[in-house]
Amino acid sequence: MLEMWLGGLQGLLHLDVLGFVFLGMVIGLVFGAIPGLGGTTAIALLMPLTYGLEPFTALALAGGVMGAVPMGGSITSILLNTPGTAPNAATCLDGHPLAQQGKAGLAIGAAGSANAIGAIIGTVSVLAVLPIASDLVLMFGPPEFFLMGLFALAIVATATRGKMLRGLVVGALGLMIAFVGFNDVAGGERFTYGIEYLWDGIHLVPALIGLFAVAEMIHLMVKGGSVAQSGSPVKITKMTAGLLEVFKHMPTVIRGSLIGTIVGAIPGLGGTVVAFLSYSVTAQASKNPESFGKGNIQGVIAPEAAICAHDCSALIPTLTFGIPAGAEMAVFMGLLIIHGMQPGPLMLRDHQVEIYGLIWALTASCVLASFVGLLFVKPLAKITQLDSGILVPLVLSTAFAGSFAIDMAIENVIVTAVFGCLGYLMMRYDYPRLMIVVALVLGANTERNFHQSMLMGEGGWSIFLNRPISVGLMIAIAAVLCLPIFRGVFNQLRVRKLAAERSGP
Amino acid sequence: MRRFFGTPVVDYLPAFVLFIIAVIYLVTGYGYTPQARAFPVSVGWAAIVLVLLDITARTHTAAGETLTRWFNPAALPKNEEARPQYARAKEISAVLWAAGFAALIVLGGFLVAVPVYVFASMRLRGKRPLWFCLVIGAAATLFIWALFTQLLQIELYPGMLFPEV
Repeated sequence: MLEMWLGGLQGLLHLDVLGFVFLGMVIGLVFGAIPGLGGTTAIALLMPLTYGLEPFTALALAGGVMGAVPMGGSITSILLNTPGTAPNAATCLDGHPLAQQGKAGLAIGAAGSANAIGAIIGTVSVLAVLPIASDLVLMFGPPEFFLMGLFALAIVATATRGKMLRGLVVGALGLMIAFVGFNDVAGGERFTYGIEYLWDGIHLVPALIGLFAVAEMIHLMVKGGSVAQSGSPVKITKMTAGLLEVFKHMPTVIRGSLIGTIVGAIPGLGGTVVAFLSYSVTAQASKNPESFGKGNIQGVIAPEAAICAHDCSALIPTLTFGIPAGAEMAVFMGLLIIHGMQPGPLMLRDHQVEIYGLIWALTASCVLASFVGLLFVKPLAKITQLDSGILVPLVLSTAFAGSFAIDMAIENVIVTAVFGCLGYLMMRYDYPRLMIVVALVLGANTERNFHQSMLMGEGGWSIFLNRPISVGLMIAIAAVLCLPIFRGVFNQLRVRKLAAERSGP
Repeated sequence: MRRFFGTPVVDYLPAFVLFIIAVIYLVTGYGYTPQARAFPVSVGWAAIVLVLLDITARTHTAAGETLTRWFNPAALPKNEEARPQYARAKEISAVLWAAGFAALIVLGGFLVAVPVYVFASMRLRGKRPLWFCLVIGAAATLFIWALFTQLLQIELYPGMLFPEV
């Protein structure tokens, strides 16, 4: 096995291959930073250009792109509260408040080193896990995947601290939206109301651009002024402190990386779920959970470490079973196929050097992009001081054009505008937007797994009770949903105890 | 201001709108085959229960206050007061600017909508000098054209009014 690892690394250490990794990294940084584009679009657009390349070089280029996208996305998430890619939405929650406090450099520095360390931990885990990955993924069947979807929704609802009820309402709304379109289980379309475009469902990326980029720009128009509320010059002198900050929070980095690695290996639970899961677990574990959402650096570190680790481990189901872990991996599978590599169990046997080369390229790109990205922070940080009168039209133009570019459908622009208005209304009436994102991502797969579970159980619910992992997941869901009640009762008991102590002798 | 269970009627509006959406969704859902509607209908009913809980939580009753304290403490009066309030007219205007831009793209295409919107937004909302608005409008259009049409080889939407361009 060591031979294969080193073979992959050796293949990468050629000037031309490294050049393509670097090119991919630059493309990934740019595509990651532009809201609405991201790794999926970048790989889809690059795919025809790789025809003339050797398979190893093509994979190195793709690895370069995929590794750098999270860093690019984190920069706009922190500076503009507009995630370049969907998973970076979790970084907005604390990264942007830090930028508003004039600590953009600190947040970006921390995101960069969390990315790098997350990628390294993810790679080590993948290299160790890949040979035994088949056994791990086979333990999960449709009932477990269905319950994992519900568990992800429940745990993210608890992460919207203080808004669990409204989070669940929005989660239900998101699921309702996710069911729009052609239903591949029963056949036929649903909830399309005669609109042909909706047969493919609500497209995720235009909806996300609307929910975050457009909603944020509407908010900025209403609020006026600049992104940085302080009005003082953007402080980016703390970037080194940000880089080192990660080492003060190593448990957060390791936890985030492990969440990214483990959950990332489960198909269907993409980077967005991983990032929010890592964020919410970190918030739950914190001694000071109230500070999350207000500019806690751990709220930046946790999702960023998880995203890069996830990018590595998402390769496990994609390469081992031919099951894409997300949209980016689905497009990447197309790239593998055009280069004569059929993803699946045989790929591990026939293309080991390419696989390990890809893993090394992805890691190298993640680490390299973390530092190259930091070089661009200074000019990018100034964006936060631009007046809304200048910034809003420029961001809106790019966001709408990016939304259209996904599949050249003008309806995407309408979806983006509708979700932009919806996103602003959600901000205005205090409904958490992140729940709708998770529901949109998980909706279709959760329904598919529900139907497959019902088929397996011949229409009975006992299928969920006969499998130990399912039972464990059901207990976990119930515990998560009851958490606020336990917390409330515990707080009441504590208040009573304090009152009794005060009134005592 | 009219109140219902101690809460201004207008505060129920978001939950009420969601309730209507869930009802329409359920009515539509029951029109599909049992297999096709099984999961969406379950989610629809769950949405109705959750929205009703949200409505209850908004009331100033014992049940409402308990629900808010346990499941939605962010909506407690002390937290609500801390949130910034904006003028309604300003909010409507901002939403209309964004929606108007999308409509302009659909009608006129990107290469017409982007310069018009950037210029109008900077001039009317940003109160910038005329020359500045013209330069930034042209630069933004050039950037969008260069990135999408030239670099990414994506043909930008020409607009409903100019389909032949």
